[in-house]
Amino acid sequence: MDPTLVKMALGGLALLGCIGLFFGIGLALAAHKFSVEVNPKVEEVKEVLAGAQ
Amino acid sequence: MSASRFKIASLIACIAVGAVVLSQVCWAGLANRFIQKTAFKGKHDILISFAAPVDKDWALNKANFRVYEEPDPDIKLPISKISLGPDNKSLILHFDEELNQSQPHVVVIKNIRSRGKNLGTAMVKAKKLYLGFLFSIFIGAMLIHNFVFTKYLGLCVFFGTSQKRSTAVGMGVTFTIVMVASAMMSWFLYQFVLKPFHLDYLQIIVFIGLVSLSVQAVDTILRKVNPILFKAFGVYLVLVIANCIILAVPLILADNEYNAAESFMLALGAGLGFLVALFLMSSVRERLELANVPPTYRGLPIAFVVAGLFALAFLGFSGMSIF
Repeated sequence: MDPTLVKMALGGLALLGCIGLFFGIGLALAAHKFSVEVNPKVEEVKEVLAGAQ
Repeated sequence: MSASRFKIASLIACIAVGAVVLSQVCWAGLANRFIQKTAFKGKHDILISFAAPVDKDWALNKANFRVYEEPDPDIKLPISKISLGPDNKSLILHFDEELNQSQPHVVVIKNIRSRGKNLGTAMVKAKKLYLGFLFSIFIGAMLIHNFVFTKYLGLCVFFGTSQKRSTAVGMGVTFTIVMVASAMMSWFLYQFVLKPFHLDYLQIIVFIGLVSLSVQAVDTILRKVNPILFKAFGVYLVLVIANCIILAVPLILADNEYNAAESFMLALGAGLGFLVALFLMSSVRERLELANVPPTYRGLPIAFVVAGLFALAFLGFSGMSIF
């Protein structure tokens, strides 16, 4: 296989991985910073209800 | 004593220099202000219009004009003919070669003579109307190449959310915001990451990721910052991901090598075009609820027929060009 192509593919993989990591961390931080408290009882009640829909 | 004299002398020198500079500026300004408009006219001509009639023998002398493209001042473009307007207030410079209108052209006009008076030398620029170009991108994306009615993109969301007018407007506004955000991000990533690293072939994957990223980010932030707006828009935000217009716009602007301002205008035009389409469609569908539609056509089939009629109406815009 052509080494330049392999190099290009690996470079792309690394770069996209970096972009993904960067934005992923960014989103995680945003989710942390803008977190909204949800009453845990809402989930509990939803669990108990019959969930046909 | 000598110190104060020196101060006075330097003050006078300063005033003198200032006066000379000011008079030069005014002088150049006078000659420049005498020229009202410089513009391209057709592919071979540059039109110059003056505030008052100029002398004919001065105007027809080719040596008084020097034209070059802004980046290369030493390549003088040869003027083949000069023609003066009927009232001597405008003249047209003809060139044998086609002018490269994507570059601004500098026109140096020497010793302008009007009614026997020498008004000095002016340096003006002829360039394509850039704001006009931006506006034409905007109107083009919104009406002439409306993404829904002439390109048939984003139809699933279009039919899904156009049953009620309030829903349609909410979806359109949310869509426009997300569209502009994700288009600007994908423009940046394409120009500064994908292109320099020769990864253009990955553009679709990257743009899909960016769209979902911007939707997720808007969702997270809006939930905290403005819960009321979130309640109104939250449902449609997820639908935006499933829209193909939001992917088409980054691909188009990557293809056309648009710059930041042009990308912004394209994204805004596409978003507002979608809003217009949704609004028109929902208004008609609200009326259709009351109409006597044959049972087989009720619901989606008649909506497709209406969309086809709208597409025919939007065909009227096709071939239009602004500026």
